[in-house]
Amino acid sequence: MIQLYNICKSYSKDGTALEDVNLKIPKGDFVYITGPSGAGKSTLLKLLYVAERPTRGQILINGQNVTRMSVAKIPFLRRQLGIVFQDFKLINSRTIFENVAFPLEVRGRKRFEVGKKVYQVLKNVGLEHKLTKFPLQLSGGEQQRVAIARALVMEPLVLLADEPTGNLDLEVTLEIMDLFKGANARGTTVLLATHDREMMRRFPRRQICLENGRLTEDWIP
Amino acid sequence: MFGKLIYLIRRALRNMFQSPVLCIATVGTVTVSLCILTFFAIIVLNVQSMTRHWSQEVQVVAYLDEVPSAAQISALVQSAEALPEVVEVVYVTRQQAFAGFRDRLGDDALLLDGLDDDFLPASLRLTLHEEFRNRLGVEQVVGELKKTGGYSDFRYGQDWLDRFESLLNLLRIAGAVLGGFLLFAALFIVANTIKLTVYARREELEVMSLVGGTSMFIKSPFLIEGAVQGVVGGCLAISLSYLLFTAFLAGGLETLFLASGVAEIVFLPFFYQLLVLAAGILIGILGSLISLRKFVRI
Ligand SMILES: Nc1ncnc2c1ncn2[C@@H]1O[C@H](COP(=O)(O)OP(=O)(O)OP(=O)(O)O)[C@@H](O)[C@H]1O
Ligand SMILES: [Mg+2]
Repeated sequence: MIQLYNICKSYSKDGTALEDVNLKIPKGDFVYITGPSGAGKSTLLKLLYVAERPTRGQILINGQNVTRMSVAKIPFLRRQLGIVFQDFKLINSRTIFENVAFPLEVRGRKRFEVGKKVYQVLKNVGLEHKLTKFPLQLSGGEQQRVAIARALVMEPLVLLADEPTGNLDLEVTLEIMDLFKGANARGTTVLLATHDREMMRRFPRRQICLENGRLTEDWIP
Repeated sequence: MFGKLIYLIRRALRNMFQSPVLCIATVGTVTVSLCILTFFAIIVLNVQSMTRHWSQEVQVVAYLDEVPSAAQISALVQSAEALPEVVEVVYVTRQQAFAGFRDRLGDDALLLDGLDDDFLPASLRLTLHEEFRNRLGVEQVVGELKKTGGYSDFRYGQDWLDRFESLLNLLRIAGAVLGGFLLFAALFIVANTIKLTVYARREELEVMSLVGGTSMFIKSPFLIEGAVQGVVGGCLAISLSYLLFTAFLAGGLETLFLASGVAEIVFLPFFYQLLVLAAGILIGILGSLISLRKFVRI
């Protein structure tokens, strides 16, 4: 499903964010990516949704070589992914509804379908009563849930979540985890970058640990 | 397909209403730039019609050896009229030439007293089609007339023609260079204004590309917006320059031009107004494309 071969990534000449990472993640897997701050977790995810290109090495997603993918094909790769960004990336001038509807709109879905799906997914994250609010009118945790709703609204092939529960209390974290597990049960491959030890203790899954850009541990329960 | 277009147009309109100040700023810059372009075109067109007026002076005068018989004259006139470059042939008798000369002398006509009225040669005056009113055309005609024979001399203002032609060339080059420069400057200014709009929405552009929007999907509302602003700016520019034209420019140009014998100063003809609109659309769309290049890399 997802394969990384000898991946190196450096943003500048001196510092390297990732060094010689090799990784295989089969379809339907659920993987935590852990490690200290600055270890390269976000960088790894960015390489997967081609916001960055690796300095060296090859990445295959679903059989496609992402490293040499032409710019025109990137949107179609991203339509197979659901992404929760570490900084949410919600559009402040648009309502919650519109924010969550974006992935459907870029696919040209009909309006009634958009409305139904957006309402359903917002209900799943417990925000269906805030449809018409704007992101800045929501708390940090609520914004995070909107970002999660947007990632899940299309039932993606792969879910890439960068610290999706960073601002949430345990109760909401558990609900969100249920959503992720549900998507995983329906076949979505989940990659979850996190520091949250409590979450990993409650739902033990495969753990990949990055340190200084190197893969130091690959633990399977 | 049709529904998609409607959807894109709706998004474009919505964007415009969401940032009305920037939208007005763009329309304003388009209007001002096109106004300048329109005035430039008015001046070029009127200078052109002025030179066309001047070129009526280009004539070939063919002097006749001796006084020919009536039959010979009509033969000569006919063969001259048969030339494709020639519009009209006028036969000027010795007496008519003398009268014309005396008229031109005016007060000094007394000098001619006591002279016979047949000391000037008779001639044919040939008026040429507009496209032949230049050195090449004139020389062609003279060459043909020489072949027929019977003429003693030809006059067609050689020096004047040369100078007239180099003036025309200069005007043509200056017009093209200046017009191109104005168009380019307009594009540059409009692109920079549109860049503000794009910059204000850069988050949205980024998110759309991250959730799988294609380049066309992301860009087309901006292109539609640019085209609409171009059309609106173009219409405003034409109306505004018409107002300014009737209020100020027409009078000013008239005093300048009427001295050179041009009948009237005209506003931009309809076809050229359409061209201004087209330039507006082009500037709007290209301006959007240029601004988007930096922010949408997908
Ligand atoms: N756009 C960038 N330009 C330059 N350097 C960058 C950029 N993004 C990340 N880095 C550097 O790459 C390294 C890895 O960053 P990354 O964001 O992947 O860490 P992380 O594991 O996600 O950390 P955190 O847990 O704090 O989110 C860091 O040293 C960071 O300074
Ligand atoms: Mg990170």
